[in-house]
Amino acid sequence: MSSSHEAAPSPDFLAEEVRRYHHFIVLALWLAVVTGAEIVLIYLPIPTAAILTILTLMSAGKFFAVILWFMHLIYDKRLLFWCFFAGLALAFATYAALIMLFSVDRIDTRWFS
Amino acid sequence: MSHDSHHAPVACKTELAPERSDLGLIRPDRTTGLMDWLTTVDHKKIGILYGAFAMFYFLVGGVEALAIRTQLARPDNDFVTARMYNQLFTMHGTTMIFLGVMPLSAAFFNFLVPLQIGARDVAFPRLNAFSLWAFVFGAFVLNASWLFEFAHLAGWLNSFEWHKALVYTDFAPANGWFSYAPLAGTFGQNGQALRFTGVGTDFWIIGIQVLGIASLAASFNFICTIINMRAKGMTMMRLPVFTWMTLVTAILIILAFPAITVALIELMFDRTFGANFFNPSAGGQPVLWQHLFWIFGHPEVYILVLPAMGIVSEVLPTFSGKSLFGYPIIVFSGAVIGFLGFAVWSHHMFTTGLGPVPTAAFALLTMAIAVPTGVKIFNWLGTIWGGRVRFTPPMVLALGFIWMFMCGGFSGVMHSAAPADSQQQDSYFVIAHFHYVLLGGVLLGLMAGLYFWFPKIFGRMPNAPIAYIASGLVVLGFNLAFGPMHYLGLAGQPRRTHTYHAGNGWEQWNYVATIGAYILGIGVFIAFVNLVWTAFRGKKCSNDPWDGRTLEWSLPSPVPEYNFAQAPIVTTRDAFFEDKHGSKRIGFENDGGEAGVHMPSQSWMPILASAGFLFIGFGMPMMAMGVPHAGWLVIGGLGVLFLGICLWALEGPGGYMLKTPTVSGTPAPAETAAH
Amino acid sequence: MSDTAAAHEAPTSTGIEHKKLIMWLFLASDCMFFGTLISTHLLYRKLFPAGFTDAEGHQRFIQNLFSIELTSFSTFILLMSSFLMALAVSAMHKGQIKSFRRNVLGVIFFGLIFLGCQVYEFTHFYHQGLTIQNSVLGSTFYVLTGTHGTHVAIGVLWLILMYFYSFTGKLGGHVGALDVEVAGLYWHFVDIVWIIIFTAVYLVEYLGPNGIWGSGLPAAVK
Repeated sequence: MSSSHEAAPSPDFLAEEVRRYHHFIVLALWLAVVTGAEIVLIYLPIPTAAILTILTLMSAGKFFAVILWFMHLIYDKRLLFWCFFAGLALAFATYAALIMLFSVDRIDTRWFS
Repeated sequence: MSHDSHHAPVACKTELAPERSDLGLIRPDRTTGLMDWLTTVDHKKIGILYGAFAMFYFLVGGVEALAIRTQLARPDNDFVTARMYNQLFTMHGTTMIFLGVMPLSAAFFNFLVPLQIGARDVAFPRLNAFSLWAFVFGAFVLNASWLFEFAHLAGWLNSFEWHKALVYTDFAPANGWFSYAPLAGTFGQNGQALRFTGVGTDFWIIGIQVLGIASLAASFNFICTIINMRAKGMTMMRLPVFTWMTLVTAILIILAFPAITVALIELMFDRTFGANFFNPSAGGQPVLWQHLFWIFGHPEVYILVLPAMGIVSEVLPTFSGKSLFGYPIIVFSGAVIGFLGFAVWSHHMFTTGLGPVPTAAFALLTMAIAVPTGVKIFNWLGTIWGGRVRFTPPMVLALGFIWMFMCGGFSGVMHSAAPADSQQQDSYFVIAHFHYVLLGGVLLGLMAGLYFWFPKIFGRMPNAPIAYIASGLVVLGFNLAFGPMHYLGLAGQPRRTHTYHAGNGWEQWNYVATIGAYILGIGVFIAFVNLVWTAFRGKKCSNDPWDGRTLEWSLPSPVPEYNFAQAPIVTTRDAFFEDKHGSKRIGFENDGGEAGVHMPSQSWMPILASAGFLFIGFGMPMMAMGVPHAGWLVIGGLGVLFLGICLWALEGPGGYMLKTPTVSGTPAPAETAAH
Repeated sequence: MSDTAAAHEAPTSTGIEHKKLIMWLFLASDCMFFGTLISTHLLYRKLFPAGFTDAEGHQRFIQNLFSIELTSFSTFILLMSSFLMALAVSAMHKGQIKSFRRNVLGVIFFGLIFLGCQVYEFTHFYHQGLTIQNSVLGSTFYVLTGTHGTHVAIGVLWLILMYFYSFTGKLGGHVGALDVEVAGLYWHFVDIVWIIIFTAVYLVEYLGPNGIWGSGLPAAVK
């Protein structure tokens, strides 16, 4: 069976894995902290635009942190990053276009004249 | 036992000893005949199957078209009822796009891409087979709606309780190939889910959904193959243009189909579970359907045309004896067309009241997309200019493509001016435009591909005089059919209406258009019949009858199972042509020969898993019909799909070693590459 | 070349394994999929900021329905499951199959808790009067979060099968690590989609007096 013929992982490889293991723990803690901060943030009495901006940045931060470290993209070949980013960018652009196209607000005539 | 092959290399797969997969079942590697075709993972056989089904469905769509044209030949005609007419134009469009053009393009992708990049198969052979069978079953589900419709018309369903309870009895889809909400959706408050149409729409929804899964699976496979399995020295900028266009098309598919998947899910939830995505009574926005559909729909038309452009980019250099003019620019414009294709979807919606800013933005972007297309046309002309042109059937068709597609492009640019479009929208002018690009463009391009590569696929040459006659009839017929429609559209004839009254001045050109349609049908029929006959009994020809430029022409015709006896090493674009006439030779890796090359094992799992789609495809419309216990059919289908996938994962990839002849004249040990 | 060179072990033009590349392509496609679903929800929130009407005809606001505690809890659970998944992949790379099994079991367990929270949330909202049928909001909310939940369920099923497969002894070596890594990519993706959904669907409803969409709305019925 092929797997039994595999060589044991090299020491360098193992050392790298141990380094990444510590990164994962630190990252998990940061993700928990940021999520907690988001929940606190929405209740703060500061302008809505400021909250939205900070919220977006925090979520984007979590998003890219998971992609780059948990999903290994920072350690992998750049092609994979661009493959994913193409889909992500297109999705975001489509979302932005759709929101702008439906720019007529307040069509809820039951509650607004 | 999993990844090893315990067989010594064999000369032919029928010599293999029976081998068991990880599940303990015997792998179907030694099968021949029908079982071989059902379990094949060979990209060439899969390509032939795609092509055969596509040609069949082209004829089905053609019959639907002729029924439409017969109905419209005379004013106030009653050849078909209004309802049947709606079903005909819906199925004609859906069949031609999803069951005709896309699978025929897939046939070319499957057969050619591994050969053109110097590989032995695609990255995931069983996934490739799964895509094929998902397409076959999805196509069957969609056309099964016709069977239900005919059964209904014949009165065979009258004794069933669920049939008596139906409000609408249209079993074949009748909403147009883009099935707009709110007609396709629901109305009513709080889950009343009252509908405007019968189960035809449900057949359409699930049919397109399954076909979408087939296309997506195939596209993931091809992107991976093209990026990851190129022969040594085959850099991206040495790829044949056809392979480049396949890559761009596959990227378009994986990014555009999710939009229609979501739209179909939302519509299905509206109809089946009483959701309100497009229900005006609850605040749903029917125009959202249009947006989501066309976010998919516009890239879809580039998915249809780019492969044909890739074919033309192969045919023109071969028969001009010159390399493609401006290769990097042609590749780049293909990519730009693909990218911009996502930015123009609302040009299908100029008359929906988007507002001046969005309308202007989409109009400008649509005009912009004409630029890379025009660049390609100039590059093609530059390819022919100064060459020694041979007017073989593929060349004649490719030249026809340039001219006819340009005509379609001109009417397209006329549409891009939103004020003009407000007159042209929903008139026969639109029909003229897209049939010029689809027939004059895509069909001529695909036919050029068929005549060009048939000798490679079957080792037999189609009869040239018949090819010229058929091509002539096709070009004459479609111009006669669709040329007058420009006038008819501007004279006010609306599309998708089953008849018209006399006295509008439309009678004469409708009659001419019908004659043209029949000529077109005869031409296509002659071409297809001749091609099928050729596959079995045509005159045998050499490996390289056209003095081809790309790697596939270096192989025997028909191509052996292992493709390349030894993996090639290339150092330039058009490597085979340079090998024959230039100074750069193709090298060969030190594989193959008596040690054999690795071939993927065949498998029952792809067809087994995709059979689940058959049950789901019938179950969902039957649920909508009110057939008791139909929901269990859907659940059963999901179970079959899941089971098939699990067994697929568990059986292991297997594989066996096939001996290949060594290329004569290859120096013994080392690779001859090196550049 | 030895006959153990199955397709996924053969050298690739880019050096990236086929399975990894195809999973990233799938995730790019899934971005468009969720992007369109989330866009549908958000544009309907923009058009109808006032929420939904329940069976008695009262106007209800969504943030009175949402339970931020429950959703935050399930968000933490999913994030931690992502962390355990990364550990599982790491263990597999190091060849430590027992550690892999423990971590994967943790991911499955947390995934099931997340699904349980979703089911609880759905039934709670249903009893509070939000159904898929009585409003656009119900339709978009349930279909969006339900689709995400389905993705999680598929991931849990995949990991359960992988857990049992690891006992056959066939999951190991480079190929096994690759298979686990690919499953991990899918799981992490499901997590990052939830990060977006949590912010865009839940958190933004709590901003301002009546959510970010509303000012000048009439008083809410709790």
